[in-house]
Amino acid sequence: MNVDIQSLGTFNQLAHEGAEEATRSMAQMTGIDAVVDVTKITLLNRDDVGEELTGREFVGVQFAFDGVLEGDTVLVFDADSAATIADALVPGDSPDEAMARSGVKEIGNIMMSGFIDGWADYVEATIDHSPPEYIEKSGADVLPDAPTDADHQQVFVFKSQIEWIDESVNFYIYMLPEYEPLAELMMEQADTEDDAIPIDKLQTFNEMTTKGTQKAADNVEMMTGIPTDAEVTQISFAPITDVPKQVGTETYVGTVVEFTGTPSGYLMVLFDEVSAVTVAEAMMPIEMEGDELTDQHTAAIEELGNIMTSGFVDGWANVLQTSVEHTPPRVVHDMGRAIVDPLAAQVGQHQEHAFIIESEMKTEDIEFESEILALPNEKELREALEALDVERANETQADVEQIFE
Amino acid sequence: MPDVLIADDSEFMRNLLREILEEDHQIVGEVENGVEAVEVFKEETPDLVMMDIVMPIRDGIEATDEIKSNNPDANVIMCTSVGQEEKMKEAVKAGADGYITKPFQKPSVIEAIEDVVPS
Repeated sequence: MNVDIQSLGTFNQLAHEGAEEATRSMAQMTGIDAVVDVTKITLLNRDDVGEELTGREFVGVQFAFDGVLEGDTVLVFDADSAATIADALVPGDSPDEAMARSGVKEIGNIMMSGFIDGWADYVEATIDHSPPEYIEKSGADVLPDAPTDADHQQVFVFKSQIEWIDESVNFYIYMLPEYEPLAELMMEQADTEDDAIPIDKLQTFNEMTTKGTQKAADNVEMMTGIPTDAEVTQISFAPITDVPKQVGTETYVGTVVEFTGTPSGYLMVLFDEVSAVTVAEAMMPIEMEGDELTDQHTAAIEELGNIMTSGFVDGWANVLQTSVEHTPPRVVHDMGRAIVDPLAAQVGQHQEHAFIIESEMKTEDIEFESEILALPNEKELREALEALDVERANETQADVEQIFE
Repeated sequence: MPDVLIADDSEFMRNLLREILEEDHQIVGEVENGVEAVEVFKEETPDLVMMDIVMPIRDGIEATDEIKSNNPDANVIMCTSVGQEEKMKEAVKAGADGYITKPFQKPSVIEAIEDVVPS
């Protein structure tokens, strides 16, 4: 089953415009000034949907939809900002709680109807939806269950992040369509086969990348003694201009390499500053004084980034029976977006949209998190997917003893 | 005590290898790229080279190829984070005698050296 890049771009644009329509509706009703920050389509494991919401309380307004597309969609916002929205709707010192909920629910209804309507107009068909449901839940529980499909362990998620201007509050719109109707609709909208992506192979590639992330996590554990688990691995598709927004505005320490082969592109291994110091010190034989990042920390991060990079990309090369070369790592220490921006600009010279391969790893025992981001050349990723033999998907490890016999 | 040349662009990894090896080996040089590796090999003719692959200026496979072309009896162990089958085959073609993937621990390094340069 193939979809073309143009269709993915169109669908991403539909989700973005839907989110903008929803945001305009909210501004009209509440006076809250907000903008759609980023919209992306992500392919990830069903169990990982909403992982980024972990640890916070949310209010959600969700409904099911069916027609040419089937699935669920939900507007999510922090529990605290729900009170602000209610207050904007029903001003007063002590608004009636039931009235406030009803108001929030109606805002959600209007916003999400605006979100869905654009899709229906585009495909010139009807998409019906159920009455909205108001929910208060923690973390990913605020989202509807991802659609199940015996043939597909992974799901497509459309996610828009809406930023409340002048406030550090974000809203999110998630749309979780059923796999088959979405794939069929994308195929129907395809203009050409020239830039087609075989989406079933994209899933296989995602699975290979999950193994690569686990290998990188194993390498971290071996070098530091810190038990490290691969968490989420996903492939997202977004306009080039939105790529830097995938990384937060926090300061990161890490490495950047350019890789060449099939595919080529850039790969970043990023740690927040606290994690960088923690992981670097775990690699050193002597205890360091103070919690500042020294040259010794940086040297350790440089080598760890190098080893994690190899752990991540070697599996691609082995499955594809090719080699993926990479430059020596360059250490970076800057705001996340400032690190990604020049790399996105480089990739953007040849393409308007980008696939972003994102992986996270963390440990429960100490404060440690790391992200790996890959920005492959879209044309070469397509070629790699074309060449991918699904039967070889488990052949991520090379047998060095056999080769050097 | 065998003479060893360490070629790795990472200071951290050179330190680690030195700590692992210096008890039973003579470290005759530490270099950061393939060009320096070839030069120091000519000067010191060590018993063994621990050679990284991904290095600036000139990579470890090219350096190994030159060293082995001029000195077929030289012993070179690739010591790299790269775990790609095609790259391992390139290393074999260049004449590498062994291949260790990072991260490694002391026993695997000693075992690989013992395979190539028996004590």
